[in-house]
Amino acid sequence: MTDKKPLIEISKLVKKFGSFTALNGVSLNVYPGEVHALLGDNGAGKSTLIKVLSGVHSATDGAIKVDGEEVHFNSPREASDAGIGTVYQDLALNALTSVTRNFFLGREIKKGPGALGIMQMNEMNEITIREMKKIGINIANPEQPVGTMSGGQRQTLAIARAIYFGAKILILDEPTSALGQKQQMEVLKTVKRVKNLGNIAIILITHNEIHARLVADRFTFLSLGEVIGSGLSSELGGDDVKRLMAGGADIGDLAKELENVT
Amino acid sequence: MSSKSLNQPRKESDRHDAKKWYSAILARPEVGPVGVMLLLFGMLGYFSIPAGEFSLNPFSGEGFNALAIRNNLRVISQLGIVAIGAGLLIISGEFDLSIGSMIGFAGGVMAMILRWGFAVVIPYVSFEGGLHIETYTLFKITDVSPLLAICITLCFTLFFGWLQGFIIVKTGLASFIVTLGGLFFLRGLTEVCYRAFNKKPDQTAGSTTVTEIPDIKNIVNIPGHGELERDVAKNLPQEELLDLLKTVPEATILKLTEKLTHINEKVAASKTLLLKSKGVKGLEKALENATASGNEGMIAILQDKIANFKIEPATAKAVSDVDLAKAYIDTIHSARPVANFFGGDIMEPLFNWLYFTVDWNVNNYGNQFADGLYSCLMIWFLLALICYVLLSQTQAGNWIYSTGGNLNAAKANGVPTNKVKISLFMFSAFCATMFAACQVFETNTADTAKGNLKELEAIAAAVIGGVVLTGGFGTVVGIIVGAAIFGIAKEAFFYIPGVDGSFYRVFLGIVLLASALTNENIRKRVIGSA
Repeated sequence: MTDKKPLIEISKLVKKFGSFTALNGVSLNVYPGEVHALLGDNGAGKSTLIKVLSGVHSATDGAIKVDGEEVHFNSPREASDAGIGTVYQDLALNALTSVTRNFFLGREIKKGPGALGIMQMNEMNEITIREMKKIGINIANPEQPVGTMSGGQRQTLAIARAIYFGAKILILDEPTSALGQKQQMEVLKTVKRVKNLGNIAIILITHNEIHARLVADRFTFLSLGEVIGSGLSSELGGDDVKRLMAGGADIGDLAKELENVT
Repeated sequence: MSSKSLNQPRKESDRHDAKKWYSAILARPEVGPVGVMLLLFGMLGYFSIPAGEFSLNPFSGEGFNALAIRNNLRVISQLGIVAIGAGLLIISGEFDLSIGSMIGFAGGVMAMILRWGFAVVIPYVSFEGGLHIETYTLFKITDVSPLLAICITLCFTLFFGWLQGFIIVKTGLASFIVTLGGLFFLRGLTEVCYRAFNKKPDQTAGSTTVTEIPDIKNIVNIPGHGELERDVAKNLPQEELLDLLKTVPEATILKLTEKLTHINEKVAASKTLLLKSKGVKGLEKALENATASGNEGMIAILQDKIANFKIEPATAKAVSDVDLAKAYIDTIHSARPVANFFGGDIMEPLFNWLYFTVDWNVNNYGNQFADGLYSCLMIWFLLALICYVLLSQTQAGNWIYSTGGNLNAAKANGVPTNKVKISLFMFSAFCATMFAACQVFETNTADTAKGNLKELEAIAAAVIGGVVLTGGFGTVVGIIVGAAIFGIAKEAFFYIPGVDGSFYRVFLGIVLLASALTNENIRKRVIGSA
């Protein structure tokens, strides 16, 4: 696996908001066809990191390289043009309109002048069905409103959309939170299928170590803006993951802490 | 423990098949409103059948004679024009309370420009002979064509629509409050302008009505006389009318003669029928009295008289040359096509055919009932057609739906939501201007009170037609149906015997509430939270 070139290299990334240091020299590499799980407690800096990667914030220091070339993003549009697709928790879907209309929202296939161009519905429907199928969901009717889809299907729609519009690096922000058990599995299956496509690097942000262990190839643990541990899935033991998830504290320490509470 | 075999697990997606065509139709949000509309049409037809007559055909009622159709369609299409602008705006998540005032403002601007012309004046401070304000006239157009008047008016109204939209998207203020401000501002500005410009030298404050606008849509080119209003041309001295007739080709005169003969015969026939029924009515009354008093001999005589009642048929008036000349003037096309486009009639050939061939478009005196339909119907139809394609087929339509449905999602996907909203505020102003143009060119008057309450009627029509006030949901077809319901309700209730006509408002209030509830339920079902 080491012979592969990383699709995105993040080295010594620093982000400061005034006097507050949100990220203090974070480095990580993500390879194509791999899921890189980014774990950490609230306030560890996960959100700041993905916001820097997706162009919402610009980095104070450090470098981001996509495909070996250094990039600087000033807007989310620039990041997405460079091939970084972010699927946020709210998924950016309009529940009231059809699957196809959501899939192509803002990038409709059309014939005619400007925004008055006529949408090519048949072509768009076909593409939507095809792209959703690629990552494992068969939709019978692409004209059905997104509101009728399950949470897992919506997640898949958002991922399929990001990939179709050129995302090589897919950032998934807590894709399994706020979903039922079955739906979570559906999302994880989707993540696995995207991984199996082979050419896409996935950054999976999650709270859930079980989900991370199920699909991730590499782990990076963040705490208070720094990397406190990283490694291949095969190298990490279950206890390591638990300890690092809790910000480096041992489970024994935590138990002691609780004992002192009266 | 027993469990189902999971060899072939069911998937969530399997639960949504493509809908059957009939359930797809029934699930459409327009179904309810269409039902109400058909009910109202039925009521109008049924109740407008004159008392004592029986017919199962609702189209035999007064509510569906040619003149009633003409007038009802005018009410519906005028409301429909502004309802489309209001409806699209609501779908994008905003709404506009300034529509009614915009109608008054646009009508006032247009009428005053047509009446007195248009000038750009720069005020400056002058010190010559004491400090006072002088004005410098940059340019002045005294004879403004209808097209130019509409364009100048559009400059004002579109700018104001843009301004309202701009303020709303930049400040994040609720559109309710910004456009409420627009409502007062525009209505006040209109009144001020009327009082300032529309006054005679001996008046201190001007009138709030402009009336002395020529009948522009009926200006025709009369050979030898130049451009004249149709009515003025018809009242020319007889010799001049006869001179005019000499310039008309023989074939046209023949056709006109045939037409006038036909009309005169019809008038004569109606007159005969009318006289006969009048005479018979008197005899019948006498017969009733005779029956009451039991005068056998009298009854027999009267019955005989009624059975053999005859009246000398009225003779058809001969077609004179002056009549021919007047008829010829009626056939000359308007020399002001733009004014005619907004204020004239449409479908005249159809209504002529209905009169001459079908023998339906005839009033009690044998004359033609309606010449055609008001052209605001055509303008409504054109606007509706364009907006239907825009909303359901184009990229802009998808943007409008997503802007209203989920603003953040639209922004995240690169939809220029601010541009969408501002454009729709301008479109709403455009629709109000079209409404005003139809009114000004049709009636040749303007008044500050024009368009009062139209903003609320337009919103109500859109909601009745299935538009959800919170945005993202609704169709153009629904808005059309909503306007039809609103326009027809008044007429339908007017004809119900023993019911106060104002009950139509009670009815509309209930329909509005029911529609809002239904729309909300449909919306919830679509987003899967109910």
